[in-house]
Amino acid sequence: MLGAGAMTNSVTEIRDTDLLFVIGSNTTEAHPVIAMEMKRAVRRGARLIVADPRAIWLTRIADMHMQLAPGTDVWLLNAMARVIITEGLVDSAFIQAHTSRFDAVVQAVAEYTLDRAEQVTGVPAADIRRAARSYATTSKAGIYYTLGVTEHSHGTDNVYALANLVLMTGHLGRRGAGLNPLRGQNNVQGANDAGASPVFFPGYQRVDDPEPRSRFERAWGVDLPAEPGLNLNAMFRALARRDIKGLFVMGEDPAMSEANASAVERALRACEFLVVQDIFPSLTSRHAHVVLPAACFAEKDGVFTNTDRRVQLVRKAVEPPGQARADWEILCDLARAAGYPMPHYSGPAQIYAEMAALAPRFAGISHGRIQREGGLQWPCPSPDHPGTPTLHVGGPINGRAEFKVVHYRPSAELPDGDYPLVLSTGRTLFHYNAGSQTRRDPGTVAKQPESFVQVHPDDAGPMGLTDGQRVRVISRRGAVDARLVLSRQVLPGCTWMPLHFAEASANKLTNDAGDTVTGTAEYKVCAVRIEPTPPT
Amino acid sequence: MERKNATREQVLLLLEQAGELSPALVRQVERQTGVPEAEIWGTARFYSLLSERSAALLLCRGLTCKLAGSRQLAAHLEQRGEPYRSVSCLGQCDRAPVALDQDLLVRHGRARGAVSPDDPDLPINLAGQDDASFAALHRARQLGPSAVLDTIEASGLQGRGGAGFPAHAKWRAVRAQASPLRHVVCNADEGEPGTFKDREIALRRPYRLIEGLAIAAWTVGAGTIHIFVRGEFPRVRAGLEQAIAAVGEALSGLDFRFVAGHGAYICGEETALIQAMEGRRGTPRIKPPFPTQVGLHGQPTLVHNVETLACLPSILLRGGEWFRAQGRTEPGSKLYCVTGHVHRPGVYELPLGVTLDDLVDQAGGYVGSPRAFCPGGASSGFLPMSMRDRPLDFQGLARIGSMLGSAGVVVMNDTVNMAQAALQQSIFFEDESCGQCAPCRIGTQVLRQALARFLAEGSPGALNGLDSVSWEMEQASLCGLGMVASRPYTSARRYFPGDFQPASSPEVS
Amino acid sequence: MNGMNHDISIRIDGHSVPARPGESVLDVARRAGAHVPTLCHDPRLEPAAVCRSCLVEIEGQARLQPACSFQASPGLVVRTDSPRVRKHRQVLASLYMADHRLADGLPQRSPAGSSLRGFAKAAGPLIQLHPVHSPRAGRPGDHNPYIGFDPGLCILCARCTRYCDQVHGAGAIALAERGRATTVSTNGGAGLLHSSCELCGGCVDTCPTGAMFDKKPSHHLPGQLRRVRTTCGFCGVGCQLDLNVKGGRVIKVTAPAPGQTINDGNLCVKGRFAYDFIHHQDRLTQPMLRDGDGRLRPSTWPRALERVATGLKRVQERWGSGALGFVSSSRCTSEENYLLQKLARAVFGTNNCHQCAAT
Ligand SMILES: Cc1cc2nc3c(=O)[nH]c(=O)nc-3n(C[C@H](O)[C@H](O)[C@H](O)COP(=O)(O)O)c2cc1C
Ligand code: SF4
Ligand code: SF4
Ligand code: SF4
Ligand code: FES
Repeated sequence: MLGAGAMTNSVTEIRDTDLLFVIGSNTTEAHPVIAMEMKRAVRRGARLIVADPRAIWLTRIADMHMQLAPGTDVWLLNAMARVIITEGLVDSAFIQAHTSRFDAVVQAVAEYTLDRAEQVTGVPAADIRRAARSYATTSKAGIYYTLGVTEHSHGTDNVYALANLVLMTGHLGRRGAGLNPLRGQNNVQGANDAGASPVFFPGYQRVDDPEPRSRFERAWGVDLPAEPGLNLNAMFRALARRDIKGLFVMGEDPAMSEANASAVERALRACEFLVVQDIFPSLTSRHAHVVLPAACFAEKDGVFTNTDRRVQLVRKAVEPPGQARADWEILCDLARAAGYPMPHYSGPAQIYAEMAALAPRFAGISHGRIQREGGLQWPCPSPDHPGTPTLHVGGPINGRAEFKVVHYRPSAELPDGDYPLVLSTGRTLFHYNAGSQTRRDPGTVAKQPESFVQVHPDDAGPMGLTDGQRVRVISRRGAVDARLVLSRQVLPGCTWMPLHFAEASANKLTNDAGDTVTGTAEYKVCAVRIEPTPPT
Repeated sequence: MERKNATREQVLLLLEQAGELSPALVRQVERQTGVPEAEIWGTARFYSLLSERSAALLLCRGLTCKLAGSRQLAAHLEQRGEPYRSVSCLGQCDRAPVALDQDLLVRHGRARGAVSPDDPDLPINLAGQDDASFAALHRARQLGPSAVLDTIEASGLQGRGGAGFPAHAKWRAVRAQASPLRHVVCNADEGEPGTFKDREIALRRPYRLIEGLAIAAWTVGAGTIHIFVRGEFPRVRAGLEQAIAAVGEALSGLDFRFVAGHGAYICGEETALIQAMEGRRGTPRIKPPFPTQVGLHGQPTLVHNVETLACLPSILLRGGEWFRAQGRTEPGSKLYCVTGHVHRPGVYELPLGVTLDDLVDQAGGYVGSPRAFCPGGASSGFLPMSMRDRPLDFQGLARIGSMLGSAGVVVMNDTVNMAQAALQQSIFFEDESCGQCAPCRIGTQVLRQALARFLAEGSPGALNGLDSVSWEMEQASLCGLGMVASRPYTSARRYFPGDFQPASSPEVS
Repeated sequence: MNGMNHDISIRIDGHSVPARPGESVLDVARRAGAHVPTLCHDPRLEPAAVCRSCLVEIEGQARLQPACSFQASPGLVVRTDSPRVRKHRQVLASLYMADHRLADGLPQRSPAGSSLRGFAKAAGPLIQLHPVHSPRAGRPGDHNPYIGFDPGLCILCARCTRYCDQVHGAGAIALAERGRATTVSTNGGAGLLHSSCELCGGCVDTCPTGAMFDKKPSHHLPGQLRRVRTTCGFCGVGCQLDLNVKGGRVIKVTAPAPGQTINDGNLCVKGRFAYDFIHHQDRLTQPMLRDGDGRLRPSTWPRALERVATGLKRVQERWGSGALGFVSSSRCTSEENYLLQKLARAVFGTNNCHQCAAT
């Protein structure tokens, strides 16, 4: 509803923010250098409120930790909204000038009382009230969230509930004040920006909108499909149903990274024609019909766009090994092999220029400018525009922002007698995604050699499980072995596993129930049971 | 980054109670306090009473003990098979040569030194009967803070911890701070070689001190009174605790807390003291800001020496003018410690500004033919006997590049080689440098090494460059220790050039 | 920034220079172009003022004062190059040289490597002092593969320990011991792998002497390194980093100086150290096609591209464009993502194109 799906503020603004509300983000491990900025803010005297089912590192320096039960974010956030409304802490002027449908939210959150919120989330009512008051009454207050908020079947609801807080307090469009998703991967923002999306052309222009489509048709010299395509989650379901027969995978390992990985792997095995273009062999490439060797980031030029919309250069430092080639070169040759007259680009700078000419948001950005000026933050509509460190200054960029009514919906799979524990998955500091890079380096491996599952002592005790023991974690979709780590970081009834280990791929367990809007799978909540690993 | 709810000030206490230092113990203390383990380790290793715990006796290798025969004592211990470790001055110079046992009580040493005879007209009067009437405190409450401040100002009271800074100015500075949370700290870390007056005050006149603290706290509006007692003075602490417990009611509303030192001379420096009280390494902080502005836990803090505080009751009772008149060249009386080659080492309360000869008269006269003296511990360097009739006061001594400091006077007769004596003091400063800043950390080593080499080889070439090094230490060190650490060498060389000629190196005693 | 901060001016070496109240004399002096050496200063850290290299004369102050921590106030008069300041620098440098080796001639050490050498050079002819042998302990049993510590080079500036505490919050290393024995230590001198160290390497980058060093390139002898500024390929923070290249290989990664880029001189363990994958033997180096017998076999680019094009075309012809899916990658550049969606849309007529959007 804020229409950008990107951080509203800059990383460098964090240091002079007065209140940080960090929810569903284990920032010190997933975004270590952003966490350093948060630490700097706290050192300067900023208040830090953490909402997370786990006692993550940041809670050590936080003024408050709201340790909510996994998947109950909407309850927590709506209850905060109710406090802000009933105590008259809203910014009426902002609401009037820049938003719509506030009344609907006022009505909707009325039932989210503190007492009931405490029952559902497990967070003391007084804490929720204190957090709501602090947030509402601090002008430079920023919200930061990551996958703990989005990787749910109701992830979009969570984001809406957060945005409601931002809009009702008017904490937007100022240095330090805003709503900030921390994007996980180096160029996830840039890939979205560049149109790796079933609904958007580059620059967030809808494929079913005739105006941009005809522009792209003219530029590319072909007719383009008007129907939005399938999102990733839907694509893999279609693959499983054999509705998709041919799959081209560039630089990803879905057999490892997608939820319900066993099902994904079965589908890949059955795929009629599978192409994988990557830098290492992977679980996915095992099933490929063609494997194309690609260059890694040190071996090519281009740009990455980071989490604060900053377009920065990637520069070639060394040659790719053997016959490996940069992905962009491969894609150009492939298009030509398929009979399309792809231009003979002199290099990524020219490719970027083609894109910028078609996407007004990036129109002012070029390799040459970044080379001279350093990273540029979009929107940057013209070559003399300085870029946009803070979004929504003077009002939301897309005009009035609409409040969205959201109601709590339980996670798709809840624990029961057979699978009594909740499993959440996530990243650790020492490894990255599928581990193909970090698990090839001695120090990161020495620090964290193998997969593990965190279990609360209160749960492990009655099951007769002890610290350091090998256990089998079993869900309705699969089973993996890992080492048990007794931990009070997790709540009783909850467990947590990292996702980086191919031999103990946590995604064999996770639920592929997708978010209704984005299709993102529910990596953060599924039901499991834990048993000692049977002797082999 | 401090963890929320960390209890850093507990760190040293927990370590002290736990026994032998080990990584496992450090991890346990981390769990108890929330302070990262490396910091706990690094802090523990700063303090000699925490890092080196062994059954061995602690044998003082300070200058006074050397003069009194610590070498013979060492030989004696070796003969009896008693293991010992040589350490910096133990604050028992009147009993030299001294060795402490494991409980930090004197195992070997002479009888306690003398003090001035009972005289009710002495502001402190160590030999007098201590009284717990708190009449001066009542008087202060009657007068009100601003009249108390005026009285202190009229008394001309200067800090007795070493710097001689006017007391009223610090009080006013603390009162001017906005923070309602303020502290008074009693600096009973007495560690200057040759000094043991604070020890005597606390043991003989505990109520003088306690009442002084109460007056200071009440006047500057401090809620908490912290008494930082040198770790090697367990009896001082026990005595004060008893005295406070004994009066009960009279001190209600005042929160007294004790903090023990753990074996580091530098913690007598007020900002290092605050660091230690917060559970950190005792490294001095940069000034400004001063403790009166940013002190304990970042709050305004009034730090005073024991003696300064002990002057307060009689000032309140008999008036500022009366106290001022007790001095000769500067206001008030002064506790002078005297050791070395004199007949009756001890603490003598005399008008501020008496001469060496006046003092030694009290102490039964010189032993042998006097040659040199330190007017204020190791930090003051050495003066020749030609200065025996100079007033021993703050400003006069400062003008000639020396200092009254804590008034720990050490007398040396003509059996002493001054290069050797300078080496002795250099060893002290090298051992006790906190090591934080380069001029002092490296300079003390260069000095000690050069003096040792000169004494071993007899070649003045070994001393090349030392004048520059001394200048740099004085100019550029971060705190007072580094500033004065070269004085023993520079003063000995200046006043006793003969001892720095080739091949003049007879051993001291 | 804060409307109440009126600009003031102070005098530096005779020139009037604008300043903000509370700003350090060092910042003002450097802005004015004065040369003030520093060793323990790092703009990201609270000043420690322990190295004493930055001392200057300030009117009204009896002692020399550290520019790095002394705050500007209206009318302050500062001299950064008086005879007294010069003599101070000369003797201080001589003292440092008596206690510390320089990293000269040692295998590749930290980039700063030698602020100490620079300080000593600029300080003029040194006084020859007998070396002292401070008993600083190292950590000989520390087998972590990334970060080494050479106590002989360490000047105890405490940048590494302050960085670990103040910037990273790891608190893995701290100053230990006292006086001449002062050193940098973990709990009990344990290896970093057995500490709370997160191997971010910030201590290496901030170290002014090379005492804290990057172990990985230590088998490379010193030589010309080419530095290529690029963007980290791991998480979404977008840290800027310098790939240090020699002989066609990335042999180490360093952070740009503080204040220049979004990461302010910081990196995490992944960005700084996890680069062995670049030259790893497991890299895919040739196109491979699945044979009739179901095995992947090496092939050539023309044949592989031909096979991909016809394979996808065949699916499109038989089942329609909707039967094709294109999975793009947040690991690839924006240009490559642009080309992949162009390929899906313009060449194969489908919008079935996505990446791991939520991550
Ligand atoms: C190296 C050094 C050691 C010191 N040791 C002591 C000490 O043992 N006791 C003390 O009272 N003051 C000591 N001081 C002086 C204190 O820093 C501080 O000035 C004093 O406690 C203030 O109290 P006063 O105003 O009553 O003198 C020392 C100073 C330095 C530089
Ligand atoms: S002068 Fe010496 S004791 Fe004082 S801070 Fe420097 S090293 Fe520490
Ligand atoms: S290792 Fe380097 S950064 Fe750390 S204290 Fe020593 S010289 Fe300073
Ligand atoms: S260095 Fe670390 S924090 Fe920075 S972008 Fe790389 S992975 Fe992220
Ligand atoms: S840079 Fe100022 S003292 Fe080190």
